[in-house]
Amino acid sequence: MTNCPWVPRLLPDPGLAVDRLGLDDHLRVHGPVPSALRSGEHDVVGLADEVNLRGRGGAGFPFARKARGVRTGRDEHGGAPLVVANGSEGEPASRKDAELLRRAPHLVLDGLVLAAVAVGAREARLVVGDPAARRSAQAALHERRQHDRPWKLRGPRVRTTVVAVQDRFVAGESSAVVRASAGKPPVPAFSLTRTAAGGVNGRPTLVSNVETLAQLAVLARLGVSGYRSVGTTDEPGTTLLTVHLPGRSDVVEVALGTALTDVLGATGRPGAVLVGGYHGGWLAGRTAASTVLSRAGLDAVGWTLGAGVVVALPDSACPLVEAAPVVRFLADESAGQCGPCVHGLAAIASAVTALASGTAGTGDVAKLRRWAGLVAGRGACAHPDGVVRFVSSLLGAFPTEVALHQHHACGRLAHGLLPVQPGQALGETA
Amino acid sequence: MSRRLHVDWTRCDAHGLCAELLPELVELDDWGYPVVADGEVPEPLVGHARHAVRACPQLALLLRG
Repeated sequence: MTNCPWVPRLLPDPGLAVDRLGLDDHLRVHGPVPSALRSGEHDVVGLADEVNLRGRGGAGFPFARKARGVRTGRDEHGGAPLVVANGSEGEPASRKDAELLRRAPHLVLDGLVLAAVAVGAREARLVVGDPAARRSAQAALHERRQHDRPWKLRGPRVRTTVVAVQDRFVAGESSAVVRASAGKPPVPAFSLTRTAAGGVNGRPTLVSNVETLAQLAVLARLGVSGYRSVGTTDEPGTTLLTVHLPGRSDVVEVALGTALTDVLGATGRPGAVLVGGYHGGWLAGRTAASTVLSRAGLDAVGWTLGAGVVVALPDSACPLVEAAPVVRFLADESAGQCGPCVHGLAAIASAVTALASGTAGTGDVAKLRRWAGLVAGRGACAHPDGVVRFVSSLLGAFPTEVALHQHHACGRLAHGLLPVQPGQALGETA
Repeated sequence: MSRRLHVDWTRCDAHGLCAELLPELVELDDWGYPVVADGEVPEPLVGHARHAVRACPQLALLLRG
């Protein structure tokens, strides 16, 4: 992706012929974490606050507020705090967490230690789905134990274990990751208690996406002003994106505030763009042309950056035809625990499929909108809400296609541009 | 003290007793699962709400402050 305006902070510079930064390379490129931050003498949470570091797993929750919540949980309820790094990337269209762990695992581990120091944890779990990413993380832990210059890593000991999870969509949900860390099946759990107060086995738990932790590790080295040198005033820094263009898919790192068109490059005018992945929103090509990749930029068009997935369909593809199998996949990915999700998503998937194939009536679209309103907010996790966002935005962004499809199919064939199998995201695009 | 109704969706099995016992605050959706009114439970209905909570065969309905 030569046209894309790379800002390589987390991932190795595409100009360097380095695939994976082992510990020596990592220390050469980034240097050690400043010792005052490693020891906790300087509070990394304050730095995170100053650069408005937000979670990169999809929800975008401020890291500092989360960390402070765990401190409060620890002080009020007791229990040994725990840090869980979430690298369970169940969304088939997202590959950025796996790429990060595969290529720059030590940044994630540095961030994990910093987060552990910040909340007073002596123990951490790194939850990973992708097998190559898992091998890289395990190798990185081994490299650290073997390292001949341990002073560069010295700090409080944080016992870290890698936990394997299946690449299922809902396995990435924070409560599911907490369950996986406790050796239980990775499905979302119902709770009225916050994870910060009672997560893994009732312990105060900080769950943070692996990219968020890597950002923390970069912030520790660059300091506030260095970190702010790219990005926007409100949202400084970079973001990882998984970008799918007709014919190719890539993980890239760009400054927050980059124009969506710069990321899409010279691929011609896109017909439709999905931003934020399968819990994200659709944009018609003309809206996409003026959209900026930041929380504020996507808020302006009604959506979020989510976990950083961008998919551009070519003009020749029908967004309804491409999206219908995804809605079916998302319905099937329900953990099957909550009635409104099980029944509602199945009904929604059937209606979208009928619409795509031109067999839906006018009443079906009204029903679809009503069901979308019914399932949101009625589950143990936000999966139904995410699917509703995907479907509602689809109906909203392409009114002409929706009107046409109520009478007959558009005749455009499915390109299969939206992956519905784990690991389908890179390389083998149709 | 303000109280709200919560549904543990992982437990609820669409028995529908809550809607029978507390029609003021609970309706059923197309599949028989409760749609609970947002916000605080009004004081005069707290007794009925407690009754509905106790009657739920799945222990899926909760009343919390």
